[in-house]
Amino acid sequence: MNSPTVFDEIFARLTPDRILRDPRATGEGIAVAVIDSGVERAVLEEKFQSAGTPIHPIEGAIFRPHGPPQEYTGHQSSPHGTTVADIILTIAPRVKLYSADVFGPTGSCEVETVITALRYAIDIWNVKIANLSLGVPEHKLQQLPRRHQLQRAIEEAYFRDVLVFAAAHNEHPLMRSYPAAFAPPLISVDKGLFDDPLRFAYKLREQVEFQAHAKGYLGPLAREPATSWATPHLAGIAARILSLKPDLKPFELKTVLYWLFRSSCQRTG
Amino acid sequence: MTDTVLIVDDEDSVRRTFHEWLTAALPGVQVLVAPDAETALRMANEHPIDLAVLDWNLGSGSDGLRLLEDLVEFQPDVVAILVTGFAHQATPLDALRMGVRDYIDKNQDLTRESFVAAVRKQLDRIHPAKHQRELNRRLAVFRETVEKILPIIQASAAFNDPVPLPEAVKSFLRLLIRSTQAADGALIVRHTTAEGSESTTAYRSDGEKLPAFPVPFNRALAASVISFHEPVALNEFDPQTLGPVELLPFEANRSCLLAAPLRISSDTVAVVELFDKAAPGFSDDDRRWLALAAEVGTDLLRHAVAERQTHRLLFDAVEAALAATASVAQAPAVSSVAETPPADVMQRLKEGLGADTNSLADAETTLRLVEAVRALAMQHGPRAVDYCVRIVRDLHQLLDEVTGTN
Repeated sequence: MNSPTVFDEIFARLTPDRILRDPRATGEGIAVAVIDSGVERAVLEEKFQSAGTPIHPIEGAIFRPHGPPQEYTGHQSSPHGTTVADIILTIAPRVKLYSADVFGPTGSCEVETVITALRYAIDIWNVKIANLSLGVPEHKLQQLPRRHQLQRAIEEAYFRDVLVFAAAHNEHPLMRSYPAAFAPPLISVDKGLFDDPLRFAYKLREQVEFQAHAKGYLGPLAREPATSWATPHLAGIAARILSLKPDLKPFELKTVLYWLFRSSCQRTG
Repeated sequence: MTDTVLIVDDEDSVRRTFHEWLTAALPGVQVLVAPDAETALRMANEHPIDLAVLDWNLGSGSDGLRLLEDLVEFQPDVVAILVTGFAHQATPLDALRMGVRDYIDKNQDLTRESFVAAVRKQLDRIHPAKHQRELNRRLAVFRETVEKILPIIQASAAFNDPVPLPEAVKSFLRLLIRSTQAADGALIVRHTTAEGSESTTAYRSDGEKLPAFPVPFNRALAASVISFHEPVALNEFDPQTLGPVELLPFEANRSCLLAAPLRISSDTVAVVELFDKAAPGFSDDDRRWLALAAEVGTDLLRHAVAERQTHRLLFDAVEAALAATASVAQAPAVSSVAETPPADVMQRLKEGLGADTNSLADAETTLRLVEAVRALAMQHGPRAVDYCVRIVRDLHQLLDEVTGTN
């Protein structure tokens, strides 16, 4: 039998229990942008206050196709963003959450608005994580300049050490959705069902690499398995890891996630 | 807007002198000359006359005052200067009543300067009223033309064969309820405008509008469904996990839900909600089936909703055009006359037409038609438009006969 290498030693030490269940792995010190449909601040503050895990004040801005960002009023454009934010805060309650509301009242948003919000989150809020539980179907990104603009924004985030988590299409791989299909500069997430919301899987399939728990906790539709709910689970897990070592680069964090998954596989057989 | 002066004098030398004085001193003025009343009246029939310079004694028993009486029949707003060697014979009151604004005595004060000054003075006086008359005339024609456009716009609805919205809703929901074995259903239509106004309407499965939408839309279940971008089945309806969502009265106490968003246009979105399928509730097959049906339903509703919306926009634009013409016509004076309809009116028309996704002709083409009709009316009057409408009807009839369309 070969003697263990340093990697065996690393894998032996890198366990989900040691990292994710570390009491300091709360998301503290990590800024997260929820680029979505806005967040109903009072609902979340009340929920976590009554659960005995008070959260940092949620800040944000409203982005629309034209004009500068508008002031965040503490309200949602639709409940989707609040459910997403609730999942991140459930996994990592001490993150500093920023709400970037990119959806209009009709529940749709333009690629350009997402790009503006992402850049704003990086430049102004200095976030380490951006959660995109939204996607643009491939047929809507036929125009190459638009696709390039979105890809460039994702790459900018990568080179500035910002982790972008993007939801795959719920019909993945039958339907490709952007920006998730821009992996590897970002972390693309498909839906899966796990007995523990801190569990996840590395399962490369048509450019989408990870699967995370796909059920949320707040709102009637949260119980419907969806990539929209899987993505903030993995973003929350990343926030927990980053609160132990905030300077991890995107590729390092992706590696850690992969190693944690391998480690959990070895343990469970 | 050129001024036209008509000189009527039976003496050739006088006509030539007056013509020469005026064309030299007032180069922008069109000067017509006539030796007698008959020629003068023929000219008045062919040209608009602003000012008539009339000799009192036209020979052959005719006089300037009598000619003016006839001229007014052709040109009700014409004013006149009477040139006479017999000023004392004129009857000032009658003359004033008929439009004589000045006298020039051939024997006393007739010089180049006094003549030109007298003509210029009268032209200056009539300018504001003339502008106003011209504007009113054009606006009246434009107004009349717009009123004629309305039936054309309304007729375009017939080309597109719109489905009445309640009928569309009823048919669509009945189809979905039957196919999925749901117990009930509803449709929520959300409309927003670029100006920021919003409206939400809910319809029952029989197509009837529900009285009100009692919760803020951003907290509605329908808003959640829209964010989902695809059909969603909910068989664990737990009122404890509503969180940021408020249910509408018809959504409360349901055992299960199947819902899908329908993107009807850039500013209109609808959500179809189906309720209470018997246990075990809605399946993945129902969800997939709804995804397919939603595409058909979107087309149906797009036809019904967008059509109404387009016509509303068009009617708004036309109403704006009418309001604009009415308010300008009431203004006391204007310095210039618009050659084309106001730009904002045309823009609204264009936007309205552009928003019509079902239109058979694009906005540019339609506006070209409208502009052509307007130009026709401006140049040849409302009767020409009537004639144009008749030609279109005849063409329609001819094509129906040729193609065998009823």
